[in-house]
Amino acid sequence: MNKSNLWSLRLGFSSKQASEIEKLGIAPFVQKSISASFTNDMPSFLNDDPKTLAELRELRLSIKNTTSDEQKKILKKQIKNAAELKKWWLDKMQQEAFPLREKMVCFWHNHFVSTSQKVKVNYWIYQQNYLLRENAFGNFKQLTKVMIQTNAMVRYLDNVDNKKDKINENLSRELLELFTLGIGNYTEDDIKNGARALAGLGLGEMDATYRKFQEDNSDKTYFGKTGNWKADDLVDLIFQQKNIPYLITRKILKWFIYDNPSEDLVTYYGDYFRKMNFEIAPLLTKIATEEYPKDTAGSKIKDPLVYLFQMIDELNIEDINTTLITFFLKQQGMDLFNQPNVKGWDGGNSWLTSQIYLQRNNVADLLCNGRNISRKTFDKTLEEGEQPNVVLEKIKVTIDFDKNGNNKKIISELSNRTLFKVNDSMQKDMENLLKYDFDAKEENANYGVLRLFNYIAKTPEYQLI
Amino acid sequence: MNRRNFLSLTGTFTGGMLLLPDFLHAFGSQNSLVIGEQCLVFIQLNGGNDGLNTFIPYENPLYYDLRTKIAIGKDAVIGKNKGMAFHPALKDFAQMQQNGDLTVLQNVGYPEPVRSHFRSQEIWQTATDSNKYVNEGWLGRYLDLQCKDHQPTAGINLDSIDNLALKGIEPNAITVKDPNKFKIKNDKEETVKLSDNPQLDFVRKIANSVTEGSDDIQKALTKSTSEISYPKTGLSKNLEWISRLIKGNLNSKVYYTSLGGFDTHDNQLAIHERKLTELNDAIFSFYQDLKNAKLLQNVTIVVFSEFGRRVKDNGNGTDHGTAAPMFVIGGSNKGTILGKNPNLSTLDNGDLIHEIDFRSVYATLLQQKMNFDYSKIGINNKPLNGLF
Repeated sequence: MNKSNLWSLRLGFSSKQASEIEKLGIAPFVQKSISASFTNDMPSFLNDDPKTLAELRELRLSIKNTTSDEQKKILKKQIKNAAELKKWWLDKMQQEAFPLREKMVCFWHNHFVSTSQKVKVNYWIYQQNYLLRENAFGNFKQLTKVMIQTNAMVRYLDNVDNKKDKINENLSRELLELFTLGIGNYTEDDIKNGARALAGLGLGEMDATYRKFQEDNSDKTYFGKTGNWKADDLVDLIFQQKNIPYLITRKILKWFIYDNPSEDLVTYYGDYFRKMNFEIAPLLTKIATEEYPKDTAGSKIKDPLVYLFQMIDELNIEDINTTLITFFLKQQGMDLFNQPNVKGWDGGNSWLTSQIYLQRNNVADLLCNGRNISRKTFDKTLEEGEQPNVVLEKIKVTIDFDKNGNNKKIISELSNRTLFKVNDSMQKDMENLLKYDFDAKEENANYGVLRLFNYIAKTPEYQLI
Repeated sequence: MNRRNFLSLTGTFTGGMLLLPDFLHAFGSQNSLVIGEQCLVFIQLNGGNDGLNTFIPYENPLYYDLRTKIAIGKDAVIGKNKGMAFHPALKDFAQMQQNGDLTVLQNVGYPEPVRSHFRSQEIWQTATDSNKYVNEGWLGRYLDLQCKDHQPTAGINLDSIDNLALKGIEPNAITVKDPNKFKIKNDKEETVKLSDNPQLDFVRKIANSVTEGSDDIQKALTKSTSEISYPKTGLSKNLEWISRLIKGNLNSKVYYTSLGGFDTHDNQLAIHERKLTELNDAIFSFYQDLKNAKLLQNVTIVVFSEFGRRVKDNGNGTDHGTAAPMFVIGGSNKGTILGKNPNLSTLDNGDLIHEIDFRSVYATLLQQKMNFDYSKIGINNKPLNGLF
């Protein structure tokens, strides 16, 4: 596989950036991805959604005082907007010229998990997404402070129920176990005391705020240091611990390159990360620059997002319905804003089961044959304004190949673009599909190459990058 | 016809989170689809089988004049019948014909022949005119109309690649790369190291368990055994599996497999003999197996290639040609020879002029074996008389 294709898939969602990587070189490409301008405007469908606590209270009150039909309508709109938010983000991921930022937002959103199912306020979910975008390449320590003090997070991890005289340890525990140090690097006392420090941190007008009568202002001992610590102090103390860089570094290596990164690499990049004061941009740049020349292809199972976006890009599909993409992702276990639990998606081997693989193959068959993915009935969950879509809709699919090339040229062109490795039997199969006298200039040639790609897309090798 | 959405992701297998296409459930409750228990088995010879050295006009002096280096001698050919005889490697073809179970269709081809493997196979697989393009195969179109609901095992392709002939709008056919994987799994398999890449090994193991309809196939395999021993070649293995699926009542309508290596531009005598031997031995074992199981009358075996080869040799081999014989075995065919012997004096650019359009053969198979109106899938050629 071409390195530029491989890294376009890894740093983005498809092969779209391969030529840019080829042109610029990997380090300047990453730099440019980091410094590229981006938009972070609130999508207009959220205009009427409640944003502040006051607005939420008002809405709740108005629901109470209306008929059940109107109540339903309001609730339906909330549900619809939750779906809209996914589509809005997916469109963004596909449209960005430098998708590394969105890839990183997606990483963080799977690190600081707050699901819309539990948080229930679309604007808070969006707000978190906004903050992750702003800080995607920023400082990990700073981001941790910001994240645990969002309305979304305090609700998701039940800190709204954490009060001086009625402690709830959930946020305190996950802050240590999942967000920063990882298991084995703290004591149960740290969790208890951390929870006391977080007591009273509840929903605020825009961000989470401490409530006077619920907070605990006595001294707590956290990692051996005593004081009247609050949320920011906890994070400061955590980031003084010697093992702080490794959990997140391991996770970054897993997200971008290796399902199973070696501990040597984790230590190597982790130590650098600490040296850089937990700035993400230099860490990402260093990892990409130093891992790029290595022979690392085939070390990671594609997540559903990359699987589908790459296919849409390869087949030059322009008019795919984003609702169907969200649906596919849900089936494949990658529902945005809705991870199964606070740990987020595990990634790696858990991306594939035989049923998920079968579904990927079915989707490959459909799309390669110019038929849209669909679901039998939208009826049950049909949202307002949505059209039921029950027929096998035809879509235009084409595939890029050298019209002056012979079969071997086209086979190598496609496999260099899409397969991390080709063995003899695959080569034989491909030359059987596209025989030596295949005429690339013929009217129907596109279909021949589509069948070749269809074969490729169903191989185990295609599942890996 | 009740056509379903293929990817109707509504069923649930695993507690709600992962939803599945409903066809995974549908086939479980379906009964036999086959009308009159007939099925078709296609054996595609890839590369362009040299018809003239397969079914040989040994009494025609032109044959010897035009093929000075590669002609098969009068004394070597077997099963002489009306001026034609089989290549010596096809001794059991002669036997099957003797038994009245094999019909030879002579000079089968199509107008405006194309001599590209790629394109000519497309034409045979889609059953279109040579200047028309269709993206679904002829058997795929047939299965689309025939299967009331999507039925993943209505067509079985034993090959490592999908076959255009079976490609339809609905996935009514599956490609089985290695039927061995349907054997009962043992625990050892889980720990086998396939490559030095653990991630790839993981995906490969999953890939092996991913075949729609695999439960049905497994069921059919457990219901049947191999009573005769097949040779140890790829085609034999495939036919042995097909036989077990038929005997195990899988009730697929169409089975498809292929044998490569017929592109004999050079060193034809040796290569061709080897390939025909492999073909002969595999088919004869299959034939005997079905006969013993009293199923031969229900199974129609069709042997064809994308084209024949040039009448005049190019030295030690032959270049791409046009019309060639097709063989039909079993399915209560008349056991005869249809069509005139090849005309070696009136040629088109050195190639035989076709007499029987292959789509007439398809039409006959669909009409008389599958009880299906061939015009529904766009075949306009008349069926043949005297095949069944």
